[in-house]
Amino acid sequence: MIFENKKEKYLFTLPAIFMVSITIYLPFLISSYYSLTEWNGIDREAKFIGLENFKTIFFENNQFFDVLIFTGNYTALFMLFSNLFALIIALVLVQKLKTAKLLRGIFFVPYIMSMIIVGFIWKFIFSQGFARLYEITELGLLNLSWLGNSELAFYSVVLVGVWQQLGFYIVLYIAGLQAIPGDLLEAATVDGANIFQKFFKITLPLLGPSITVCMFMSLTRGLKVFDIILALTQGGPGGSTYSATLDIYREAFQYNNYGLGSAKAIIFFIIVLILTQIVLKISRRNEVEL
Amino acid sequence: MRKMVVLLVAVMMLVGTFNVLAQTAEIDIFISMPEYADPINELIDTYQEEVNNEVEINYETTQSDYPTLLKVKLNSGDIPDLFASTSGKEIELYKEYSYDLSGEPMMDTMLPSVKKAMADADGNGVYGFAIKGNYFGLIYNKDLFAQAGIEKFPETISEMETAIEKLEAEGITPFTSGFSEWWVFKHLFQHFLVAAEDDVQALVRDFENGEASFSDYPVLEDNFFHFVDLVVEHGDNKILESSLNTEISQFATGQAAMVIGQGPWIEDSLIQIDPELNIGFTGYPVSEDPAESQVISGADQAVRVSSDSEDLDAVLDFVNWWYTSDYGKSWFTDVAGVVPPIEVEIPEDYYQIIQEGIKASEEKGSAPLAIIYSTDSFHSAFGEAMQTYVGGNATKAETIETIETKWQEIDGSN
Repeated sequence: MIFENKKEKYLFTLPAIFMVSITIYLPFLISSYYSLTEWNGIDREAKFIGLENFKTIFFENNQFFDVLIFTGNYTALFMLFSNLFALIIALVLVQKLKTAKLLRGIFFVPYIMSMIIVGFIWKFIFSQGFARLYEITELGLLNLSWLGNSELAFYSVVLVGVWQQLGFYIVLYIAGLQAIPGDLLEAATVDGANIFQKFFKITLPLLGPSITVCMFMSLTRGLKVFDIILALTQGGPGGSTYSATLDIYREAFQYNNYGLGSAKAIIFFIIVLILTQIVLKISRRNEVEL
Repeated sequence: MRKMVVLLVAVMMLVGTFNVLAQTAEIDIFISMPEYADPINELIDTYQEEVNNEVEINYETTQSDYPTLLKVKLNSGDIPDLFASTSGKEIELYKEYSYDLSGEPMMDTMLPSVKKAMADADGNGVYGFAIKGNYFGLIYNKDLFAQAGIEKFPETISEMETAIEKLEAEGITPFTSGFSEWWVFKHLFQHFLVAAEDDVQALVRDFENGEASFSDYPVLEDNFFHFVDLVVEHGDNKILESSLNTEISQFATGQAAMVIGQGPWIEDSLIQIDPELNIGFTGYPVSEDPAESQVISGADQAVRVSSDSEDLDAVLDFVNWWYTSDYGKSWFTDVAGVVPPIEVEIPEDYYQIIQEGIKASEEKGSAPLAIIYSTDSFHSAFGEAMQTYVGGNATKAETIETIETKWQEIDGSN
């Protein structure tokens, strides 16, 4: 122990606790209060209306549920694709390829770009880029309105989200794969295990901690998706790609319903809290130790 | 030696008091519309050079998220002396923070249509002034229309249908729409709204209270949707991906003959692509009555004077100078290049769209600006509903129902 004295230990955590409190816990408590009020964000006084906002969300307007369903669908696809592709690419990149290091860099580049910029790049690709490619190749797929059709727009958003985040999960999986002792795999080879048996019986179980981290990260990032949608579709066409966070932002700052927006944020917070705990529990249970 | 020190201290104290007495007034400007940052800086410099060099003017501007940033400032008590909002309905929203300018000298030059846009919900007071007036209408390419043999621009919907046929026979796409932008719909819709009722402010209020409905007004229920259908059918390929930039490039490169939902603000971009462009600007055909095809004029942005300002006199001097001095009056056309919100002569080689707008309103009169009586919260919901309609995911009846409900939900007084 560095700190012999218990008091000293608490003393040194105080600044951190203070900063976290005023930037996270305090605003959280204040928005909890605003969720019980009717306020447009401008008036000097907010009007206390009790649970009226929650009543509006649950009984009068089903729009927030549509948004939650969209967010759920997005998160499910985002988790599936980003983990699946990241694992596959990571498996390839730990092989003794000449270009492995270069490729790792290339896959990581989108991740260090700002979401908004990635959004605008893809907006360009989907519109002008695809239009030009269609002229050259005449592939019908390229002539579809990828951002203008409400169903396709959903997949476009998922595609760009996964494309941008993939590098991050690849790095985590590579680290996990490299931590697996080579002698185990060698022993399995000697015992006559084929490549699939080795992967499913040894590699995958030992990747447990990496999978837990990646699942958890992709879950929270999927649920919080905001900027990529803002840049690509702004919730359109016809409001079909509103995520929960974007909808909360719209309610509070565009529709000037600060109270209602706060109430939505509180509900969303509780949903996220429950979901993350469940996913964390499940993946921890599946981890194995050597 | 000691005397010297005492004297020095005394002098320093005197200077100190003098400084306090001569403390300059400060004007904090925080407004949107960054496109006018350079002209406004020039205006401020001129004011400080020619009129009052004592006053300190801090000018800050931003486009994205301006309302959010303004709210943060208002809530934290850091209220700018000059701030911006949209005109019309939003006048009421910030009324408790705004100074009523109706007794000021600047009223002499301000256009009546601008004053009207700055009044509160009861039509009283002038709670702001405009940096620019604006025109709304249909922008068209005169050369393409001549090429298709159309001599007179269509003023009724049936004339428009004939014109579309003639344009398409020449291989010209009639429309470019920008339908991925929610605000294009409000610009288009207001032309039908002003045709529906003379007192458009009252009509909007009836819609908000659920006392008016589309079915009472064929021009809204039938003509508006028919016109949107025409644009969808004879417009851009991927219609819901068409943005402001699509409109500018399609029109300026001569691929589309008419631009939906835009106005004088795109002329610079158009001319940059093709300086030879021959631009026409007129009202939309909204019915079978040519008289109802009018351009719309008014001011859609308001600059507000904070009623809590510590240097209110200095702020008022500045804005009055802006509207009444010779430099200030010529600033609108010579420096900023906008539609002047005051009564002033327009230079002859001025923007084509503005000149056409003035000409059209002199010939046929202009309609009042209707969009300012609804909030952008409603308008973005309106745009979304229309996008759903254009995308084929809702019928006309469903769309009308959504719009009527949203109007009450968002803008109604609950």
